[in-house]
Amino acid sequence: MTDIDAVLSSKPISPSREMGAYEALWAHQKTTFKTIADCFRNSPDAMPSELVSEDEIDTALSKVLDEVARTRIQDFGVRVHGSEDYPDRLRDAAHPIELLYYRGWWDLIDSPKRIAVVGSRSVSEEGIRRTRRLVKLLVQDGYTIVSGLAKGVDTAAHTTAIENGGNTIAVIGTPITEYYPPENKGLQDLIAEKFLLVSQVPIWRYAQQDYRSNRLFFPERNATMSAVAQATVIVEASDTSGTLAQARAALQQGRKLFILDNCFRNPKLTWPARFQEQGAIRVTGIEDIKAALG
Amino acid sequence: MAKRILKIDALTLPDHHYLDAQDICYYAGEYTAGEGHAYSETNQLIHNFKKTVDKRGTAQWQYKERAILQAANIFRAAIKADAQITFAPIPPSKARSDPMYDDRMLRMLQFVCKGRPTDIRELVVQTKSAAAAHLSESRPRPDDLIANYVLDESLAEPMPSTIFVVDDVLTTGCHFKAVKRVLQQRFPDANIVGLFIARRAPKSVDLDFDILE
Repeated sequence: MTDIDAVLSSKPISPSREMGAYEALWAHQKTTFKTIADCFRNSPDAMPSELVSEDEIDTALSKVLDEVARTRIQDFGVRVHGSEDYPDRLRDAAHPIELLYYRGWWDLIDSPKRIAVVGSRSVSEEGIRRTRRLVKLLVQDGYTIVSGLAKGVDTAAHTTAIENGGNTIAVIGTPITEYYPPENKGLQDLIAEKFLLVSQVPIWRYAQQDYRSNRLFFPERNATMSAVAQATVIVEASDTSGTLAQARAALQQGRKLFILDNCFRNPKLTWPARFQEQGAIRVTGIEDIKAALG
Repeated sequence: MAKRILKIDALTLPDHHYLDAQDICYYAGEYTAGEGHAYSETNQLIHNFKKTVDKRGTAQWQYKERAILQAANIFRAAIKADAQITFAPIPPSKARSDPMYDDRMLRMLQFVCKGRPTDIRELVVQTKSAAAAHLSESRPRPDDLIANYVLDESLAEPMPSTIFVVDDVLTTGCHFKAVKRVLQQRFPDANIVGLFIARRAPKSVDLDFDILE
C-alpha cells in the first residue's frame, strides 16, 4: 500500500501523536511555555511531532496514557494549533499554546459572549457576594463565564454561573488528570461533564515533578484564560495575587480589563491605579462593563 | 499557511464504532454541538451544509450555498493540486427522483475538482431511498446498507487507483464501511480512504437543524 497521506498538501494531524509530541517537548530540560513558543516562532508551520523524534513521541505517549488510565478519564480530547477547531484568538497570548487538553463541550469555546471573572483565593465575604451578584447579571445577559477553578472568586464564579443556568469554562492550572484544590473535584467533574474544562498543562511532566515546580503552571494558564475570553473582570486581589498575571496578559493581548471599584477604594493596594494607567477600566457594575464592551 | 486536516487515530477511533485501525479517515473538524448550542465554525458549517432542500428559495439558503463553498475550499487546500484522486460520494439518503434529494455533496466536490485532475464518480448507488441517518430511529449495520447498494458499472473505467469516499459527518462509520466494501470488491488494488468535513464527537447532539436559526 502506498503512502496515501502523500496526496495531501501537508501531513495530516494525528491527535494522539501530537499529544505525545507536546508531552515530549515538555520532557526536555528547562522547557517553559516560552521556550516552546520560541520553537514554533522559528518554525511557524511545524507541528509538535515535527520537532521531536518518533521514539520520543512513543515514550511520552505511553507515559501519558498510563496517567490517563490511572485517573480513569475517558472523555478527553485535544486541540492542535494548525487545525480548523483551534481558535485563532489563542495566538494573541505572548507564548501561544500549541496543544490544549479539554473535557466537555468544546463548542462553548466559541460562545458569542465570553468574559473571565477572576480574583483572589483568599477572598472576603463581600468579595464572594460581589462575584455572585456580577456573575448572575452577566449570565442573564448571555455571557459564558470563564474562570480558573481556584478557591475563592473562581469557585464562586463557576458555581453562580451554573446555579443561574449559564454556561461556564474552566481553564485550569493542573493537567486534566489532577484536581486542585481537592475540594473542587466535584465541581471540576461537573464542568467536564456539562460545560468545558481546558488545560494546557503537560500531564507527564506534571506527574514527574513536585509541587514547587508545578505551581508555576497556575499563573501561566491565566494568559490562556484571558485569550479565551473577550474581557477579564477582577473582583478582588492583593498586590501579590496570581490574578495580576491575568491583568497583565489581558492588557498585553488587547483584551478589555475591568477592575471593580472596591479594589480602588482599598488604600493598601497599589495595583489598581497602576493597571488603570495602562488601560484597565474602573467599573462599579455590569452597566459599566456592558457600555465598554458595546 | 492553510489549516491541516486530521486523521482518525488511536485517540478518536473508539468514537466510531464500525471503523478499525486499518481504516484511513481524514476530517477537517469536530462536530461538537450541544443541546441548544452550535457556536463553533465547524458546527455552524455542518448545520448550514445539511440544511434540507425545502429551504431552497428562503433567506436561509444562502448559508447552505456558502457552506458548500467553504467545505470545498477546505478540501481544495488540503489536497495537492496535482493529486490523482477519484471522489466517490456516499449515496445520499434520498434517491435522485425524491423531491428531498440533496446534491450538496456533488456540488461541493465539483468545486473541489475545478481545474484539477481529480474526478467525481457516483460509483456506489442506492437502490431505494432510506431515512437520513440523523433522522432515522433504527441504526443500520454495514451489511444492511450493502444489501441496498450496487456498483454502477458504467463508471468503473478507467480503473480508479485512489478513491476518497466522501461524506459530511463521520458518525459510526457505518456508511463509509459499507461503501468501502462494495468498492473493494470491484477494485481490489485501489487505495480507499474516507474524507469528511467533520467527525462527530461522542457527546454531541444531533440537533434539529432549524432550531438554531
